[in-house]
Amino acid sequence: MTRFADITATLGDTPLVGLPRLSPSPEVRLWAKLEGANPTGSVKDRVAAKMIEAAEDEGRLTEGSTILEPTSGNTGIAVAMLARRKGYRLVCVMPENTSAERRQLLTAFGAEIVFSPAAGGSNAAVAKARQMAAERPDWVMLNQYANPANEAAHYEGTGPELLRDLPGITHFVAGLGTTATLMGVGRYLTERVRDVQIVAAEPRYGELVYGLRNLDEGFVPELYDEKVLTRRLSVGTEDALARTREVLAAEGLFVGLSTGAVLHAGLALAREAERAGRAADIALLVADGGWKYLSTGAYSAGLDAAVDTLDGQVWA
Amino acid sequence: MSVEVRVPTILRSHTGGQKVVSGSGDTLAELFENLDAAHTGLKARIVTDEGHLHRFVNVYVNDEDVRFIGGLEAKLSDGDSVTILPAVAGGM
Repeated sequence: MTRFADITATLGDTPLVGLPRLSPSPEVRLWAKLEGANPTGSVKDRVAAKMIEAAEDEGRLTEGSTILEPTSGNTGIAVAMLARRKGYRLVCVMPENTSAERRQLLTAFGAEIVFSPAAGGSNAAVAKARQMAAERPDWVMLNQYANPANEAAHYEGTGPELLRDLPGITHFVAGLGTTATLMGVGRYLTERVRDVQIVAAEPRYGELVYGLRNLDEGFVPELYDEKVLTRRLSVGTEDALARTREVLAAEGLFVGLSTGAVLHAGLALAREAERAGRAADIALLVADGGWKYLSTGAYSAGLDAAVDTLDGQVWA
Repeated sequence: MSVEVRVPTILRSHTGGQKVVSGSGDTLAELFENLDAAHTGLKARIVTDEGHLHRFVNVYVNDEDVRFIGGLEAKLSDGDSVTILPAVAGGM
């Protein structure tokens, strides 16, 4: 059935597509779960719906409430769409070094944006949001880094969809941000699939983003449980960008930059399986499409120029 | 044997501002011991008194987070690349 009551009902059940041209052999296969197919174009639609539903059930959100949330873009956009439909006001705190499209989309969906300084990246956005929340106790912070509904969206949605579509799954790879995708899908799969590997692809940004004043300002999301992961791989801007272009050229898949990082890790796992003579079905989480990154030159500028532009940004 | 170590801005006060330093050791623990001789105070910023990695520091050997490959006992080989980074909030 492809008829829906309204746009919010199209959430989830995203396509899982093969990447035969990038897969090393018929026995070692890569698959991409296209979360850009969600209502506002990213995996965060799942999370926004679940967190808002939970806050409504708890009575924290009522008509006219103001939601406050730090975001590098996707969560804010997803929350903004639902907030406007439901009559909530949304204030987003976003690092100033994010792509122009993210700002424009937030504005288009009716969110108000408060910028946090570029240095410190998302850390600075979280700190500023916490400070604002302390000053405005009547505002509701969904707090995606600590909200169990964030993980539940993946345990109840993304995970079951993956196992249904790829019963022989051997590896799951996703980007590491709030960590909820890896925690939720990871727990779901580990409980059901023997020896499944849960692999984090962690974006390694330019130095600006790590510009903390001291190490105690560091941040580990409350949701993060190291035991759920098998491995955690760090992927730099240049590798992520090169892979983003590679999957576009080879498979015709137009994806955002976090997917480049995920693909880079996935290809390393595929090579290892190939060398060891093991069959593998490796699922990659494609968090969003490429639309929001066009202005960065990610798909059009020379590789070096694009890396320079992206290196100071929170690109995932 | 020699290992290349990338040092984040926040710890460069210990390396005279150098972004990349080199050191040696068969394990990560030995490497930090070795580095501390030339770069006083660096080890204490990364490893706690109890001998664990500081909660807000991530260390990678050839892009693998060391917490999944033995932690401070992770083995090193000649030519390996070690990256130290503060733990920061990711995209959200």
